[in-house]
Amino acid sequence: MNNRLKVLRAERDWSQADLAHALGVSRQTVNALETGRYDPSLPLAFKIARVFGQPIEAIFTED
Amino acid sequence: MTPPAPSKRPFGLGTFVLMMVGIMIVGGLAGGGAAVFGDQPGPLGTALTVGMIALAMAVAFAACIWWWRGIDEAAREAHKWAWWWGGSSGMALGAILVLTLSLRDEDVSVLGIEGGAADLVSGGVLAILLFQMAGYAIAWAVWWLKHR
Repeated sequence: MNNRLKVLRAERDWSQADLAHALGVSRQTVNALETGRYDPSLPLAFKIARVFGQPIEAIFTED
Repeated sequence: MTPPAPSKRPFGLGTFVLMMVGIMIVGGLAGGGAAVFGDQPGPLGTALTVGMIALAMAVAFAACIWWWRGIDEAAREAHKWAWWWGGSSGMALGAILVLTLSLRDEDVSVLGIEGGAADLVSGGVLAILLFQMAGYAIAWAVWWLKHR
């Protein structure tokens, strides 16, 4: 899957560590998410959507 | 824009290392206790040995449960993948070695294993565990390298 995590994070001027703290995951997990090499679980996807204030479909898209 | 309030942080490498040190200390104490109490003759000695080892295993298991609950989902996925592929491959390699040595009745004293049947059994188990752990560690590193 593709995602806009890096773009959304950059718009808010957050570091990967900031986002990791907000999501309750490690910075390595945020990096894996942003590079598209790891797809989040449904609960984590909802959490990401809540943190960015956007619907899941606006953040994640299929290949 | 200020970052949102932090959630509970997952365990990192430092917590894992501390946990492993703790488990090794408990294991060492249990091993020492089993060696001391195991000298007791008859069923009492057996029961004490089993009890000490079972206690150490229970403490290690409890530590693993506590640690598993504290890591995030990507770390869990890495460990599951590594345990399956790395652990299985490692165990298969270890089994090839151990089975070859036992089926061909090879002289294992060249590997530094000398003694009776009990030593051979524990040597075989440890050999397979070693290969399994090595396979697991390699696979775990590969998962994280692939997901950077």
